[in-house]
Amino acid sequence: MICIVALIIFSILGIFSATHRQMAKEALDCVFRRVTLRPCNTGFKEKIKSHMVAKLLNRSTFLARAFNRYYEVFAWIFFILMIASTFYVVKGGYNYYLYGSCNGLNQSGFCAFDPKGENNKVTEINASCGIEEKSEKNVSLDGVDLSSFPTKQVGAKDTIVLIGCYECDYTRKAYPDIQKLVREKKTNYIFAHYPAKENTNFLSEVGYCVYKEYGDRFWSFNDYLFTVDKVEIYQSEYINTILKNFDFDISKINDCVNDSATKEAVTNQVNQLRKTHLYGTPTVFINGKAFVGPKPYRVYKSVLNKFIIF
Amino acid sequence: MLDYEKIKKDFLLVSKQIKGKPIVYFDNACMSLKPRQVIDAMNEYYFEFPACSGRSSHKLGEIVTKKVREARQIIAKFINAGEQEIVFTRNTTEAINLLAHTFPWVKGDLVLTTDKEHNSNLIPWQMLVKNKGIRHRVVKSKDDGTFDLEKYKELAKEARLISMVYTSNLDGTTIPAKEIIKIAHENGALVFLDAAQSAPHKKIDAKDLDVDFLAFSGHKMLGPTGTGVFYAKYSLLEKLEPFMVGGDTVEYSTYTKHEMLKAPEKFEAGLQDYAGIIGLGEAVKYLEAVGFDSIKKQEYELNKYITDELSRWPKIKIIGPGDPALRSGIISFYIDGVDMHQFALMLDEMSNIMIRSGQHCVHSWFNDKKIYNSARVSLYFYNSLEEASVFINSLDKIMKII
Ligand SMILES: Cc1ncc(COP(=O)(O)O)c(C=O)c1O
Repeated sequence: MICIVALIIFSILGIFSATHRQMAKEALDCVFRRVTLRPCNTGFKEKIKSHMVAKLLNRSTFLARAFNRYYEVFAWIFFILMIASTFYVVKGGYNYYLYGSCNGLNQSGFCAFDPKGENNKVTEINASCGIEEKSEKNVSLDGVDLSSFPTKQVGAKDTIVLIGCYECDYTRKAYPDIQKLVREKKTNYIFAHYPAKENTNFLSEVGYCVYKEYGDRFWSFNDYLFTVDKVEIYQSEYINTILKNFDFDISKINDCVNDSATKEAVTNQVNQLRKTHLYGTPTVFINGKAFVGPKPYRVYKSVLNKFIIF
Repeated sequence: MLDYEKIKKDFLLVSKQIKGKPIVYFDNACMSLKPRQVIDAMNEYYFEFPACSGRSSHKLGEIVTKKVREARQIIAKFINAGEQEIVFTRNTTEAINLLAHTFPWVKGDLVLTTDKEHNSNLIPWQMLVKNKGIRHRVVKSKDDGTFDLEKYKELAKEARLISMVYTSNLDGTTIPAKEIIKIAHENGALVFLDAAQSAPHKKIDAKDLDVDFLAFSGHKMLGPTGTGVFYAKYSLLEKLEPFMVGGDTVEYSTYTKHEMLKAPEKFEAGLQDYAGIIGLGEAVKYLEAVGFDSIKKQEYELNKYITDELSRWPKIKIIGPGDPALRSGIISFYIDGVDMHQFALMLDEMSNIMIRSGQHCVHSWFNDKKIYNSARVSLYFYNSLEEASVFINSLDKIMKII
């Protein structure tokens, strides 16, 4: 028992130090019963035990005696803790690979691989959207009508939906990855602007109108809004310049933006988005599966891969 | 009187610490520490004249030849032997094998050993039983671990060779060698003494003992590792046929024949460990300067102190006689039901106390007595009472938990 525990511990320590590598080797021998206690040879177990008891003896006779007597019990406890923690580490690693978080998809608890939780950060959506507890379990596309949003239908079986906001850092972080994924995996794509930040709320209408008036020319405009410096999109005057640069008819777009039907349509869009129970941007749906916060590219991609990693 | 300040200067390890605690080296029966002088002598060879001895007539060759010759004389004199009567080997084991392989055996010859032989003085005979059809018998010790002369007298009548451990590495007892040899000779037998544990601790006088063959290791008596000596009376040595031959063993050779050199050269095949031999000569000088009287006195005092203290714990059983005067520098002890390896490991971990545990290569005795293993403290003159009390204090702690 102790051999297995020691093997695991020393193997890990062995990465950093040669002495521990030697111990790991002894532990391995011990596991495979190559070194057993012989009258002229110390067994590995006995060695470990003696070292620990002696260390304790220098501090407290009581502890040393207890340890000496209940050594096997301690060994079992260690073993169980070890197995449990190994299980969690492996599971954490697996989750991190697949979902960008040790604790599972969109879970924001501490993760050693992503200590700052970068992969789960979102721009929170103000309280108006929900009495409901924020939980990714509730986030779904069920009963949500996305037909009015900019859509690229290429007849693929996979569909990616990106809900983000132009001004939000985390959406901006995820945006290029999503574009790349759509391109690489040739999926259908729906983009929905969620007005999470005041400065750029007005862009919902602008985007709506550009798509309505110019169809597929919307996409390069959209790319631009996500990549240009944020301050350039805070004000409508700047937007006019941008629209002009894209060769869009400014007055036509402005008329559309000021049209009450547009306002109604955009409000309607936001209401649809709220039905997803989203609590932050970016929220990405890949074939209906929600990813909240900017995930590493591999996480998004793994959903569309045939065999997880390729 | 021992000059402890000088000892500290000569044996750097004596005042060295590991993890902030002094080293207590009590494994001298296995390997002794080496004084600076021995190491310097070896370094001198490597730095100043790292050449061949006996063969090359250039300046460096001549220095080595001279130094090796001097060492041989010093070492021979150390056991009161003639310069031509000692053969350098790697250790005691090799010396015993030399004897076993060169002795003119006749089928049915009887070899007698004690019941406390190191494997080195047991396995060679067992091999000969198998390969040459000799017989091997064991003279069992008395209950207190001392030599049983009566039993021996009986068995000696038939013996061809008596091969016995002079001082036991198991319990430190010394056999009455002179009497044993006398009885053997009366019965026409020859005697070999395994002096691995005697040479470091007591004066050996090969002539006075009238012993026929004897061997000891340099590394247990302040000398370099891998050095040993085989002694034989010259008349006997000349009669033995070397089993390892080649360079340095012949006077001349043609494609079909050769003329052997005289002993001891004919036994020292190939280039030798010159640095080791020179170092061993230096070790002998050092030992003689300290003097066996002082060595014995110091070992006895420490052995007595430890033996007395151990009697506080009735659970602890000392192997061999109770009287420390009969146990040289050795205290071998065990506790029923306790693995003494753990004991030794704990002492090492707690206070850098280095002792040996196990069966000390005397498996046969342990198997016969059904004792699992023992811990062995083996002392040398550079050990101090202070170290002995560190040992007792740590032992005290361990005894509280077992
Ligand atoms: C009594 C005795 N004989 C022989 C030997 C073997 O010595 P070496 O290993 O130097 O050949 C030892 C070593 O411990 C010994 O104590």
